[in-house]
Amino acid sequence: MAFISELTGKPVTDIDGIQIGVLKDLIARTHKEFNHPVVDAIVVQSKNEQSIIPFSEVLVLLATAISLKQNKGGFSKYISQDDDIFLIEDVLDKQIIDTDGARVVRVNDIELIRVNGNMIVSNVDVGTSGIMRRLGMAKLARKIFPSIKKEPNQGCISWDFVELLRHDQSMRLKVPAGKLAELHPSDLADIISDLSHTETGEFLDNLNLKQLADTLEEIEPDYQASLIKDMSDEKVADLLEEMSPDEAADLLAELPSTRSENLLDMMEDDEAKDVRKLLLFHEESAGGLMTTDYVSIHPDLTAEQTIKKLREIGEEAELIYYVYVTDVENHLIGVFSLSDLIMAQPKIKVTEFMHKRVVSVNLKDEQDEIAQVVSKYNLLAVPVVDDQNIMHGIVTTDDALDKIIPTSWKKRLPRFFGTLK
Amino acid sequence: MHPRMRRIILLLSVFGPATITAMADNDAGGVATYSIAGATLGYPILFALLFITILLGVTQEMGMRLTLVTRRGLADLIREKFGVKVSIFIFLGLLVANLGTITVELSAIKTTSSMLNIPPMLFVGGILILAFLFITRGNYKLTQNIMLIVSLFYVVYIISAVKAHPDWGLAVSNLVYPHGVVWTHAYIRNYLIIGMGVLGTTITPWGQFFISSFAFDKKMDSDTLSLSQFETYWGAFLTDFFSFFMIVATASTLFANGIKLESGEQAALAIQPFAGHLAGTLFAYGILAAAFMGLIIVPLSTAYAFSEFFGLSGSLDTEFSQSKIFYILFMAQLVVAALLITIPGISLFQMAVATQSLNAMVLPLIFYYLIKLTNSTKLMGKHANNGFQKYFSTIFSILIIIASIVTILAIVFRW
Repeated sequence: MAFISELTGKPVTDIDGIQIGVLKDLIARTHKEFNHPVVDAIVVQSKNEQSIIPFSEVLVLLATAISLKQNKGGFSKYISQDDDIFLIEDVLDKQIIDTDGARVVRVNDIELIRVNGNMIVSNVDVGTSGIMRRLGMAKLARKIFPSIKKEPNQGCISWDFVELLRHDQSMRLKVPAGKLAELHPSDLADIISDLSHTETGEFLDNLNLKQLADTLEEIEPDYQASLIKDMSDEKVADLLEEMSPDEAADLLAELPSTRSENLLDMMEDDEAKDVRKLLLFHEESAGGLMTTDYVSIHPDLTAEQTIKKLREIGEEAELIYYVYVTDVENHLIGVFSLSDLIMAQPKIKVTEFMHKRVVSVNLKDEQDEIAQVVSKYNLLAVPVVDDQNIMHGIVTTDDALDKIIPTSWKKRLPRFFGTLK
Repeated sequence: MHPRMRRIILLLSVFGPATITAMADNDAGGVATYSIAGATLGYPILFALLFITILLGVTQEMGMRLTLVTRRGLADLIREKFGVKVSIFIFLGLLVANLGTITVELSAIKTTSSMLNIPPMLFVGGILILAFLFITRGNYKLTQNIMLIVSLFYVVYIISAVKAHPDWGLAVSNLVYPHGVVWTHAYIRNYLIIGMGVLGTTITPWGQFFISSFAFDKKMDSDTLSLSQFETYWGAFLTDFFSFFMIVATASTLFANGIKLESGEQAALAIQPFAGHLAGTLFAYGILAAAFMGLIIVPLSTAYAFSEFFGLSGSLDTEFSQSKIFYILFMAQLVVAALLITIPGISLFQMAVATQSLNAMVLPLIFYYLIKLTNSTKLMGKHANNGFQKYFSTIFSILIIIASIVTILAIVFRW
């Protein structure tokens, strides 16, 4: 086991023990069958030049001096490849994504281990002990940390959970999407809020449409707008269809009107119609917050028929836990929950077990009022009606509470000036 | 207040991040330093102010541009390009400079307590608790109101300056070349030391990190670069527009009458032309608001820089414990500063000059990395520094280093 911090700057000597330079960097590469990058070459800095020497020419790495197997000039040539990772230039001191903790952290040190004669990158150190080692206080760090912390490896992240970010200079790094695919959209959104614009672009390219839509929904609309600015209209239109209509409307409202009009034209008619309707309402009113993806059925259905119907239409809905009962003119006349439905006898009509006193909000109600209704009646969603009691949509609890309890990336640390706009 | 006036000030203060930074730059340390500069040196210090304004604009613009183009904070970039040791070194420089500034803010609060007849340590303790509540629960409205009070306080200086009927010809011509005083040895010595103070209170180390964090937080776009550039220059102008009148007001009341500035009551004389017998009270409240603003922003900037340098941000699962470190860091600075001001016999104005000079001495260190980063075409592409930005800032960094050395020598050897 060795740390990069303890290796850099070490003298490099040839087979006769004559120093040819000092260790500047290590080049590692990920091989197909193995997750951890394997050191393939070392970068040696001599007085006036930098040379890359294949790792196969290195006799001893973990010693006071790094000794090589040949004389200067006799080394085989290293052929660089696109997926080379320069451990110091690309990884050390940079921010990485810890996919296990779903967070962005800074690498303080890199740990190497020897496996079958190969040097393998095992962990990255993001903790305080890494910083101390960098400052030349390795012994002190060893003394302090094992005694305080139960886990010796605290502050270390296995390379299995490391996702490199693409930086300005290191175009050769590519983000494999695999490790990210399993993260929750909220976590992805959190990571995005820590990334720079170029990195975000790369990051988003690696997500599939569904993931991308779900992740965008977790981000504030104004930031969403800047993220999709450079995407093609076709892709954005597909995205908007995938997003729930209320989120899509919020996003479109942030875009320049010519572009949003254009995008609406490109979307499928059904979806575009819903979104257009939502765009008419004020952003923080019930009309602006609601989604039109809810489940409503006719009053003459039985419980059995309703369950069958839910299987058909439920896929599209944002929330199927509440089933709303509406008449031919779409007046809201009742509601029941999935549990009501399951407990009901199959043959009886829904009008027999539905709740007729429905708690609803008006299209024009403000977000504060909706939040109060939702919390007072412990609802997962509340229906939105107009003055004639015609149902237009539902506001889900998370949307109602969004402004009151902001999503975590906004409140993470106290901002210099609160929520100054 | 006249509603139109209120609107104008509100407009100024919400103009943008650069303007806010600029306004925040004029904290209690600023008021105290400008007061002593005007009172001790008269108009000739305005000459230095002109260059300081340009340097403020140029360096703030660099910080803003750096973040907008790279989408990383200044501390992020220093850490990534120069490593742990440089990061710790710069962080310590920032910490020391900030602790100095916080001490001045608290010292200003102590001064107001005696002007308002409140037991000083009780008052300081109360303010510390208030500061903690403010950052844990503070909201935008409150921040805005404090900013508004502070801005109004500056306006009081403008009116006072006008009402004191200064020699405008002398004041304005001193912007171009310093003249109208006897250049004694003592005067030149004071000019150097206080001039460093004026530099350090106008262009602050924390201000460099602040502007970059602000640009990052706001998720601003590099498309609006030219607008942001205009804004930073505008902010620099606005800061020193107020500073100009503060100096003119103190110069025309205190310097002209040979009054040596030693107490808050004397500093309040500068706004007497406007406030009459209420000058003392008005000064006390004004500087209190300015001090409180500094007391929030300066330690926050340290905590921010710390988390950027050492990667404390961005975690989900350890959110609570990390915010805890953040708050501890914030409060620790205030507590240390509070202990420092219990040392008896140090006046606010002496302390202001001393700590703001210290600020100025840390500047070249930060400028070095700022200039190096913004010069890099590899990092900045077509947005790298142009010739003027590069040379103006480099030359002035060197001048600051020379002035720092001379100042230290002048103090140590009592030249």
